[in-house]
Formats: sequence, C-alpha cells, structure tokens
Amino acid sequence: MAYNLDELLRMVQKPARYTGGELNSVVKNKENIGVRFAFCFPDLYEVGMSHLGMKILYSLLNKQPNVFCERVFMPDTDMEELMRQNSIRLFGLESRDAIDTFDFVGFTFQYELSYTAALNMLDLAGLPIRAANRDSSHPLVIAGGPCVCNPEPIADFFDIFVLGEGEEVILELIRLYNSHKEKGYDKTAFLHQAAHIEGVYVPSLYHVEYNNDGTIANIKPRGEAPATIRKRIIGDLDTVYYPESFVVPFIDIVHDRAMSEIFRGCIRGCRFCQAGFIYRPVREKSPEVINAQSRSLCKSTGYEEFSLSSLSTSDYTKLESLLPMLLEWAQEQNTNISLPSLRIDGFSEELAAKLNVLRRSGLTFAPEAGSQRLRDSINKNLTDNDILETANKAFTAGWTAVKLYFMIGLPTETFDDVAEIISLSQKIVDRYYKNPNRQKGKGVNVSVSVSSFVPKPFTPFQWEPQDTMEMLEQKQTHLRSLLTTKKISLHWHDASTSFLEGILARGDRRLGDVIEGVFKRGCKRDAWSEHFNLQVWLDALDEFGLDPSFYANRRRSFDEILPWDHLDYGVTKKFLIKENECAHNNVTTPNCRQACSGCGAARWKKGVCLS
Amino acid sequence: MEKRGVFVLKEIRIRFSKTGRAKFISHLDLMRTMTRAVRRASIPVWYTEGFNRHPYLKFAAPLSLGFEGKDESMDIRLINDMPAEDIEDRLNQVLPDGLIVHHVGEPVMKLRDIAFARYLMRFKDNNNHLSEFIKEQNIIAKKRTKKGLVREIELSPFLNKAEIHDCNDNELCLILPCGGETINPALVVTAYEEYVEQCQGEHIKVFCDITRLALLNSDGNSFV
Repeated sequence: MAYNLDELLRMVQKPARYTGGELNSVVKNKENIGVRFAFCFPDLYEVGMSHLGMKILYSLLNKQPNVFCERVFMPDTDMEELMRQNSIRLFGLESRDAIDTFDFVGFTFQYELSYTAALNMLDLAGLPIRAANRDSSHPLVIAGGPCVCNPEPIADFFDIFVLGEGEEVILELIRLYNSHKEKGYDKTAFLHQAAHIEGVYVPSLYHVEYNNDGTIANIKPRGEAPATIRKRIIGDLDTVYYPESFVVPFIDIVHDRAMSEIFRGCIRGCRFCQAGFIYRPVREKSPEVINAQSRSLCKSTGYEEFSLSSLSTSDYTKLESLLPMLLEWAQEQNTNISLPSLRIDGFSEELAAKLNVLRRSGLTFAPEAGSQRLRDSINKNLTDNDILETANKAFTAGWTAVKLYFMIGLPTETFDDVAEIISLSQKIVDRYYKNPNRQKGKGVNVSVSVSSFVPKPFTPFQWEPQDTMEMLEQKQTHLRSLLTTKKISLHWHDASTSFLEGILARGDRRLGDVIEGVFKRGCKRDAWSEHFNLQVWLDALDEFGLDPSFYANRRRSFDEILPWDHLDYGVTKKFLIKENECAHNNVTTPNCRQACSGCGAARWKKGVCLS
Repeated sequence: MEKRGVFVLKEIRIRFSKTGRAKFISHLDLMRTMTRAVRRASIPVWYTEGFNRHPYLKFAAPLSLGFEGKDESMDIRLINDMPAEDIEDRLNQVLPDGLIVHHVGEPVMKLRDIAFARYLMRFKDNNNHLSEFIKEQNIIAKKRTKKGLVREIELSPFLNKAEIHDCNDNELCLILPCGGETINPALVVTAYEEYVEQCQGEHIKVFCDITRLALLNSDGNSFV
C-alpha cells in the first residue's frame, strides 16, 4: 500500500521541513500563472532557508503577477526513502505539486559538494539528469550562485547558467521565455536566443577540445553564441529590489534571523578569496535604505534578531551613522543586531561600546595565516599588532572568548608559517592575562579553526597547486603537536573534503561523467560529513581515466587555457597574474579605497570604482 | 497599571486551534512561532528580565507533533492594557495558516488544574476491530519513562468509557489523563495495532488522525 504525503510526514524527522505553510510564504492561484518556478537549494531546509540570495529571488519572482515561485530543498534520508518507496516526486513546498511540470527548475550552488545533491533532486523530481535528455516538454533547468563561475564540471546537466547577480537577468530570461511560449516554445530555439542575454551562459552552445596532456586546446562557441559570457551586476543597490518580508520557518534553521544586505563586493582583495574578486566592484547601500529595510523586515517577521550582511561589515563606510539609527528602534523593540564578518582592523573602541549595548555575540577574527610573511603573501593586510591590540580592546570591553579562523595549505606556506598559527593564538592568551581590566574570575578561550585552502577560479591563486591530502594532514599533525594549553581549542577540517572541492572547483567538462557516476553509486549528500565518501569519487575518476591530482595538485602555467576562460567576471587575467606574482614576492596590494589597482571591474563604472 | 513603582502585569489567556499543516509544528517550534507572532502583532507583552530577554509565554500541556488541537492554551502577561478583541484580531492577522485564536480573556483556572484531555481519534483502518477493542478488559500500553524503563499502563478503564462515533465506526472519542500522569493517545494507537495483530495474525500499520478537542479539569469541565 502506498502512503500519501500526510501519512509520510508522520513518519519522518522534522516534518515541518516539508509542510510549507510558514508565515510569509506565498501561495498563488495556479489558474492565473504563466510561469512556475521551482527554486531549488541542494541541501537541507535548515541550510537553504538561511540563504539570503534565495530569499531575495523568491520574493522578487513572486512579486511578478505572472510568476509563481516555490521553494524546494533536498529531503533528508528518511524522507527521501519514503518518497521513493511511495512514488512521491519532489514537490514545491507551496503548492505541493511535483516540480517536473514546472517551467523553470533553478538551483543555486554555494559549494561544489552540493552538485550530487542537485542531481539527486532532479532524479527525485523524475527528470532526466542530463540536459541533452530533456526536451521542450521538460522544465528548463538552470543554475546560479558563486560556483557557476566555473560551471564546467556540471555543464552536462544544466540548460542555462546565470552568471553574477540575478535580480535583473532572471526577469529578462522569464520575459523571453514568455514570448517564446506565446508562439510555441521550442527548447533549442529558446536557448539560442537566451544565450544573447548578458549573463546567460548556455553550456550546450560551446564545444571544448582537449590536448593530449588533458589541458584544454580551445573552447568554441557554436553558431551565433557569444565568445565570452560576462557576468551581471546590479548598478544601484538603493533601488534594486529587496524583500519586505522573509518566510519565517517553524523549525530552527542555521541563520534564523532577519538579514539586511549593506553592500556587495569587497575592497580587500585577499588573494585566496573568490568572493573578493567575483563580486567586484564594491557597491554600498545607503544607511537610510538599510534602516528602512531592516525595520520593515523585523516588523513583518517578528524576528528577535537581525544581522547586517556583507563580506566585511566594518568596511561599510557609513557604519558609524547606520548603527545609531538601527539601535534607536531595535533597543525599544528588544531586537538584537548582529554584525558578522567584522574585520579586526576596522574594530574601533566606539564600535565596541555600541555593540556592548546589545547582546554580546561572539568575537570572531580571521587572520587566515599565522605569520606576517604569509599574510602579506595572501594580501591579508593585517599585522600581529593589529590583532593583539584589537583583542586587547575586546578583553577590556568584557569579552573572554575569541574565535580565530586560519587556513593551511596556502601557496608558499612552510611549516614555520603553520607553527605561527599557534604562537599568534598563544600571544592572544598572554595578552588576556596581562590585561588588568579583563573580566575578573574568568578564563580566556581562544578557539582556533583551521580549514584547508582550496584554490578557486578567478583568484590570483587559480594557477596554484593545492596541497595534497598528505601534506595537509602533516600540517594538521604539526599544529596539534605544538598545542600546549587548554586555553586554545583547535578545530580542523577534514582534508579529504577539501581535496574533492579542489578537484571540482577547477574542473572541466570531463568531470560530468564522474559526477553522474558517483551519483549513481549513491553519492547524494557529499556536503554532509557522515555521507561523504572520497573513495567512490576516486574510483569513478579512475574509471573515466582522469587523474585527481591533475585538477587539484597541479601548477598551471599562465598561458594554459583554463576551463572558465570563456567566462568574464570583470577581473582581468592580466591583473590576476600580476597579483599572483606579488603573492610569490610577499608584496601586498592596496585595497580599492586606498588606490585602484586596475583589476578590470572599473569597466562597469559603479560603486567604489567611481570615487 | 503602576503600583509601588513596579508594573502590575495582567495575565491573559489566549485559546487557539492548531490544525491543518500547523499540526506538524512541534511544541518547541510553536513557542518560537508564537513569540514572533506576539512581536509582529505589537502586543505589549512582558519580556523576561534575563540575559536572553524574550516575551513571557506559558503554554498549557504540550501537544504532540502531528496532533491537531481545537482548544489549546497559552498565557501571556501584558505591561499595558489592551482589549481582548484587539489581541485576538491582531494575532489572527499575523499567525501562519492553521493557527487561529478563538478566545482571549483573563484566566479562570490554574494550569495545574488540568487533569484530563478529550481526544477525537479517527482511525484509518479497515479492520473493524475498534468496537471490540474498546470493550476489552486487559489493554495494556507500554510507556517509556525518561530513565528508559518501560512501564505498563492499564488503558482499558479509559477505553471502556470511550464512545464510538454514531455515523462512523472508525471515530473514537475518549478522555485520557493529561497534565500530571499523562497518557498520550499515540499509546492507544500502538495498543490497537497490537490488538489487530493478535486478531489477524499480521502486523498492520494503522494511521490515526488525532485531535485534542479540549483540556479538562478534574471535574471534567473545559479548561478556561
């Protein structure tokens, strides 16, 4: 006997992941809808519901009278098993209709390890996973998000990739789709035309040829498709659409709060950081707009907390005028403000005092590297002294816990650089006990989190070899051996997941077979450590004659054609090469406000590039 | 409402139903949902004074995940007066689907007065053993205690008083202890499955829609 959905929900953990019906979720009358859009996040509800980009596009799409956008997440194992046993296809949370009848199925890729989850979701929806096996009767399967700056490993599965910021281009795409639908939609004809919208990449219209050594010989557009595809950016953040309300989940999600975006891009240009390059140029929202948007979000959601969202909160130039505006009503309404991504060198005493008024959230710093030499090399313009002084101020203000984020495996890193992670942490501990104004009767806790560096496309390190798993593990062992105090707690990431990320991040189209292969062997939840199995991936790579170290651990030459060379994110290769050379010479580059370094993003004449 | 320099807080009881999709909101999630609803509705509620300030909400007996509730209860404290109808309207404007406030007023009974609850159980079952089942004398439920031990509870006294709905053989209306020594109606479903297994010799999963119709005091009067 097959069970129905209501019955299934009684047999699974956290059924509210699958029920929909949350406050502010949008349910439309299907009669009057031209375009049905399934916005898919290839991870659990709790993770996907925390993602700001999805909230923005969900509200924007549903604001269009003709469009009905629904949320879809990856079901947990218990639900998936029951759905498959009872022939229940993946459905939109709002209507509970199966998404294989929708017009668009759109994914966002925030991390490479979610690729197989997306294939699993297509499969659960009853859709062929390969784009070539889907015709005009199927939904268009599209994807966006930071990973699609090199979408080549998943090029076989998607009809369209949307590069850059989505608010404008998604509506242009839907408009074009509507006009095609009116005269009789044909997938091939539509894709050919869509390829001419800026920011729209139709992978099937490009042909990749390889050299004997596995490197790329050329990437050729078919027909009229443009030779390069440029990402989209939003010019004015004050006028771009921002939701007045968020869906308020019933269950506790990862980031369960209102979020106000304060700027996009980052002035810093830390050389390891993909976000610092692909979102250029920096564009700020004005304090008045942020204030109004924050207030309306808190009002419509009832959230007891909101956070200011950006890549580096303290680089917001008008923070000192914004905070008092926010505090005025937030305090009255018992609403907490949280400021994530607060940078060490932007942390003034004044700001500390203002934050102190609010609930004391954790103090988090990201020095990324232990030694000054390596911090210069990665362009993290920050000295030991900056870190210690800031920590000291925080201790005076009453903080007793500090979280530090580091990376190992950075280009040019030696074991001495690694050792300095511990010595810097120890200096912070010492500084605490030297501070006469520290909170009495309390010990300090310095939590050190060490992740493994993954070289990413569109960064100055895109040509660098990633440390092998053995090297990363040796460095982790070295760190542990140096640890002598319980005041410092050390956390590290599993090197094998970083290795797979390294393979996928700079992979080419030949990895499509591998991804499909591992999916068929049961890899569906690689981003969840308990389900991650590197060996299955290595076996599949081997089966298709591919060498993982070719992708992860190989140094590329500057003149090699990279799999993403036909995509244009604004920053030029010339600039990235110059930055790479600076890294090897331990030379820093000024941030965008100090001086323009000519990265190429100025072509848009927006934001920081205007000043 | 000021007296001796401190606010006298006015206790208000909000009675609501929780049906449809809302039956999948767990008790913990319901508390969060209601906290936010009270904030959205701008009801002048008293916040706790601790490190983590939050609106003071006090729920009567928690309702299990998956059960509907027709007459659930939540107490708040007001720091400024607001008419009961206002509170009801404001909340109903901001509550998600499935949660509806139907009465707001000052509490009459104390939370500890709750002694029983009346349930409607709709069995989705074609086995037709329900009428015999409730007449049996030795129906035992096994209840897991917090310590992980299994305790046996005699269900028959409650089942014998249960009524089967006139026009539907599969609908059972019964009263079970609630508040102190609670008996969860899910135990009745499990006991019924075992009973059916005994009669038919095979285990059949029985689904049952469970609705808590009312909370009752020891005299059997509705909790108000």
